Amino acid sequence: MTIDDFSQWLSAGAASQFIQVTPGIIPALQTVHILCVAVLFAAALMVDLRILGSGLRDEPLRAVADRFIPSIWRCIPVLLATGALLIVAEPARTLTNPSFFLKLCALAAAIAVTLALQAFARGSSRVGALQVAGAFASLLLWATVIVAGRYIAYVS
Amino acid sequence: MIHAFFSWLQATSIAQAVSTRWFPVVESVHVLAIATVVGTIFIVDLRLVGLSSRSLRLTTLSSQVLPWTWRAFALALATGTLLLAANAEGYYGNAPLRIKAVLLLLAGLNMAWFQFVGRRDIARWDAGRPPVAARRSGWLSLILWTGIVACGRWAGFV
Repeated sequence: MTIDDFSQWLSAGAASQFIQVTPGIIPALQTVHILCVAVLFAAALMVDLRILGSGLRDEPLRAVADRFIPSIWRCIPVLLATGALLIVAEPARTLTNPSFFLKLCALAAAIAVTLALQAFARGSSRVGALQVAGAFASLLLWATVIVAGRYIAYVS
Repeated sequence: MIHAFFSWLQATSIAQAVSTRWFPVVESVHVLAIATVVGTIFIVDLRLVGLSSRSLRLTTLSSQVLPWTWRAFALALATGTLLLAANAEGYYGNAPLRIKAVLLLLAGLNMAWFQFVGRRDIARWDAGRPPVAARRSGWLSLILWTGIVACGRWAGFV
């Protein structure tokens, strides 16, 4: 079974048909998806800015990481669920889309960098070159996830 | 008069350039800016209503988070204007965008109320639980910004 066969099978199914014919579901799912993206991105931004020397400067890095990184982990399941439903609705638009592939790769890397930053912050509040590189990588990777996500609409 | 302005806007060379070539790029920057605006506002609102960051003083949190909100808002406003200009005639009658404009205005008024009235006695509750009026302002902000995001997304579907 090729990806195209899978797309056709998925879009013919009851779940996909329901989302396709019910007005408002797709923008509603996208709205929840974007709101979670906003919370996740702002949480990552707070930790990254703290490492880069602005944002919540008066707080120890560990406190900032403990306050904001759990929100990232809480948003990801909601993003995966709404993202999966959007794929079910229009599989052919997404599954073979190179921008979607880039988004998934950037997402995996962003999660890895965030886990590393969280582990470092729990170990000590010291900020070294490694943390600074991690903060830049985090900002770049999450921004790539967002932009590649939007480009699914423009690439095929 | 607004319609005439929108016609003029769409005819400008910059609007034409966005329409024919730069729309996806400008839209991507708009989404990044909005994620920053809404996410950082939610951080402060959630503290205001008492759901998170309760161990931080509200003034500490807002003075260090909100400057980033304003920077991102300037970017969102600039990119949003370019996106609007690209198809101004088409967007003129777009109901979700009209609702979005009203919600933005209400969010601004809510913020102004908090700035000039709600936080006048902030010294008394900065480290603790905000009074009911301030908490309501936080809930209102959460609802308004959710509506703003929803209308922005909905605008692309009509």
